[in-house]
Amino acid sequence: MLILPWLSAAVVAAASWSQRVHAQNADQEHAVRGFFNAQSGSVSSHTNNWAVLVCASRYWFNYRHMSNALGMYRTVKRLGIPDSNIILMLADDVACNPRNKFPGCVYSNAGRSLDLYGDNIEVDYRGYEVTVENFLRVLTGRMDPSVPRSKRLLTDDRSNIFVYMTGHGGNEFLKFQDNEEISAYDIADAFEQMWQKKRYNEIFFMIDTCQANTMYSKFYSPNILATGSSEIHENSYSYENDNDIGVAVIDSYTHHVLEFMEGIGKTSHKSVQDLFDTYSFEKIHSHPGVRADLFRRPLRQTLVTDFFGGVAQAEVLSSALVSGQGIPNTTERSHAQEAVPEKLAMVNAVEAYRTNATSGQTSTQQIEIVRTRALDTAAMFESYARGEQGSFSITARAWASVAVAGSLIAWVSRISKH
Amino acid sequence: MPPRILRNILAKLKGRGDKNLTRIQRRRALADLAWRTYPRLQLLLFAIGYAWLLTIPSTLHGQRTYIDENALQPGQVNTYWNWADVHRADRYLEQLESMRDRNASSHETATFISNEFRKLGIPASTQDYAFSTTSGTVSGTNAYAVLSSPRASGTEAMVISASRLSLTGEGDGTLNLRGIATVLSLAAYLKGYSLWAKDLVFVVSDGYLDGMQAWISSYHGVTQGNLVAEPLQLSSGVIWTALNIDYPGHSFSHLGVFFEGLNGRLPNQDLINSFQVISRFTGGVPVLVYDHFDQSEFPDRVPDFVPKWLPQGMRRNEATQEYAYRAQNVMRHIGYQARGRASGVHGLLHQFRIDAITLFAVPAQGPHGFHAIGRVVESTLRTLNNLLERLHASFFFYLLVGPATFMKIGAFLPAPVLVGTAMLVGGMGAWAAARWARQGRAQGQAEKREEGRDVPAARWIERPRPVAPALSVIVYTHALGIALFCLCTWPGILAGGNIVATLLFASVALAAGGGSLLARAPAGSTQAPSWMILKSFNLCLASTVISVTSVLNFSLAATLAVFMGLPLSLSAPSRSAAARLTKFTLYALLALGWLLFVPGEAAQALRNWEVLRVWFAPFVCIVYTPLVLQAGVVCLLSP
Repeated sequence: MLILPWLSAAVVAAASWSQRVHAQNADQEHAVRGFFNAQSGSVSSHTNNWAVLVCASRYWFNYRHMSNALGMYRTVKRLGIPDSNIILMLADDVACNPRNKFPGCVYSNAGRSLDLYGDNIEVDYRGYEVTVENFLRVLTGRMDPSVPRSKRLLTDDRSNIFVYMTGHGGNEFLKFQDNEEISAYDIADAFEQMWQKKRYNEIFFMIDTCQANTMYSKFYSPNILATGSSEIHENSYSYENDNDIGVAVIDSYTHHVLEFMEGIGKTSHKSVQDLFDTYSFEKIHSHPGVRADLFRRPLRQTLVTDFFGGVAQAEVLSSALVSGQGIPNTTERSHAQEAVPEKLAMVNAVEAYRTNATSGQTSTQQIEIVRTRALDTAAMFESYARGEQGSFSITARAWASVAVAGSLIAWVSRISKH
Repeated sequence: MPPRILRNILAKLKGRGDKNLTRIQRRRALADLAWRTYPRLQLLLFAIGYAWLLTIPSTLHGQRTYIDENALQPGQVNTYWNWADVHRADRYLEQLESMRDRNASSHETATFISNEFRKLGIPASTQDYAFSTTSGTVSGTNAYAVLSSPRASGTEAMVISASRLSLTGEGDGTLNLRGIATVLSLAAYLKGYSLWAKDLVFVVSDGYLDGMQAWISSYHGVTQGNLVAEPLQLSSGVIWTALNIDYPGHSFSHLGVFFEGLNGRLPNQDLINSFQVISRFTGGVPVLVYDHFDQSEFPDRVPDFVPKWLPQGMRRNEATQEYAYRAQNVMRHIGYQARGRASGVHGLLHQFRIDAITLFAVPAQGPHGFHAIGRVVESTLRTLNNLLERLHASFFFYLLVGPATFMKIGAFLPAPVLVGTAMLVGGMGAWAAARWARQGRAQGQAEKREEGRDVPAARWIERPRPVAPALSVIVYTHALGIALFCLCTWPGILAGGNIVATLLFASVALAAGGGSLLARAPAGSTQAPSWMILKSFNLCLASTVISVTSVLNFSLAATLAVFMGLPLSLSAPSRSAAARLTKFTLYALLALGWLLFVPGEAAQALRNWEVLRVWFAPFVCIVYTPLVLQAGVVCLLSP
């Protein structure tokens, strides 16, 4: 006979729970977002990090370009970008070159204290695969279906991408393996295509070559921050030689950036402006440049780890989206954008962000953006986290819990008597 | 619309009135100008050409050498050649010296060397060879070893060589024992490295040049009629570069670089520049061109090469000393290159497109020895090991006027070309002069009277210009040259002493003089005098030879410009028979004097042809001598 109150109590509890889920409160949401943001200290809204590292040279005497790229590879990996999110294009002909006195090793300093080739190197494009065509295909995602996922840049509109290039270049071009060149226009157009295809949130473009600053002069797509090692008509120089390896082991600019990066941890709060502030002709022997006119966030608030780190942002969704109004949760975002009419609002929200909002802004619109199964749980957590509820529902919930517990105890004691 | 000034100039050039008429007038005016000025133009070109030759050693020309190939990276490695390796070299030297003292045979020494290589664990072998020449048989035994690249495929190789005889006095018998000891000890030492991207081939060649010629010919599978050589048992890849070590003295103060190859070929300049940088900065040994000391090293002493007859103030002048120093280097270079001689064993490798030089340890009381030369060679080999393709970036045509100063081809090539052009102008002038003859004054006056109006005092008449007689003389003299060359290759002719040489000289000169009968004009002919046509052809031919040679072998072209330029232009017959004969004799001496005055040189050139395929001897016999003899025939013909 106790079954009846138990059932009624359960129904009451379910009702109150669903009521809570449906309740909307922007302030609470803001508080939660603040909680998550506090974790990273960032105002960026990206949810994944990618890196494209290109060494455009080959041959033994260009050892330093290989170690430039490997140095960057080590750094982004150390700061948390996994190999799956790094596209490394490397001629890779020095580690096992017969001229290498230290087989299987690539060092970036004269004392040979750090072997960049030692641990788990995953080169995605090796040797003659490092071509202008492949680089542009990686950026724009125009791939043959047979290309494995590990060789693709699987970014979306919430991806921050770090693009690093090194090699021999000149005014508005970079030479690829003594064979072909990529021009500043090619890269600018590729970035624009990426923007139109919503393949990035923000790009940090870094290049170390002679007359490097000319390479980013043609960019015209938004949200790109660019820096280069030397001005037009200026050479970039190598930093030092190792007299046993017999060639220069690293370039001055990259060495300088890597030195700075060594002081950065996953939780560092250093901004890119801090990096740019360390640039000086005395250290680098060329005039590095920065181009931030396309970039919408203040450089002081743009963390180095926004690009170098693999810091995953959790996205906070509104519970209204989570309740599920006949929207297929499993749909991938890109498809949803094209197919489902109800999602137009979401697309608009994205556009609003992409066209005028500075990235730090946390508007409620944005919360409506993403509706995937994975993020439903986040919404549930969010609703649990709310402290402010009606006093009646709290009381009802307490009494229902007491009733359920009491009926359970009664039931158990009856069974044990029998 | 072009600006008015331009239009005015165009109008002036085009002329007003009938287009065709102005064109004909313009052409005539130009032809007239050329006819009137060609002797002066010729003189001017000669003057500039010869003056240019004289300015070559001056500081007007020349620039610092630089490394052009990025891959080389010279002087950037630590060297680990050390006293233990020097000690090993000393031990090898002791053994080699004891073999020299007991007069060990060539074969025994080669076997000893190849055994030493084998003891080091390097595959080694010997090669017997024999050349048969007009002056006898040259035979010997080479020793060589091939150290395979530990980590590369061995499709490319570098050669480190030493000949038994040093280049001192062009192989006068000075032994190169320390060079051989260096190669042996280097082999032991270099085997310890695993970073060779190319095979290392160690060659100890017998004799001075002959051993290497036999070895390198066999290596490339080239057969030579007069060479019997054992096939090589060990082989390697394509040889890109080679260093030849020549260390004849007890110690050395400088390393001299010798670079001229057979037939005037030079190695890529990057090789010399890399060695220069490495020797100076890694080895701490100053570099010389050949064994000529740079006067700037001894500021207080007047160097020997500054002529004694100069006034004292001038001798002490820095500019004079610099000029004399550079002139000495240029003359030495021309001496090797014009004669097509190799300045050392390295020169034999150039014919197979191998860039090679000889490092000559200039004998001195000190301070350097095995320790320095080992480090320099080690570092140079590391640099050559870095090569990804053959040396190609830097110059192949250059004049090295100092260890780190050179002249580009554009700075010296114009000199012989200008002389050649002057000869061409002279030849064309002679051709035009043969066409036209001035008629006598009397006849002209008669005409004047007849026609009763003002005509020029003299008239030009056209003459036919038969070319067959002149051509037959040319063909005849060149055929004579071929006969002369064949005679010279007969055993005993060049070694026959003064009497045979004089006989040869007289007979060839007489035969050439007899050639004048071919171009004798019939008496009272109205044709152009055949000497003019012959001279015209002779000058044009010689000019072509100089111009063509200048881009292949500058030194030879410059020498030809000096010996043929002015003399050939001055050839002309005289009225008196005695003067004609004297002139002919002078030309014959210029053409064939080498038979009488430098018989040793002639024999050497012939030996180089037979053993090393140097083109100089046939070139002189078949091209130079006939051209000068033709000028002699010009003098013999009737004026």
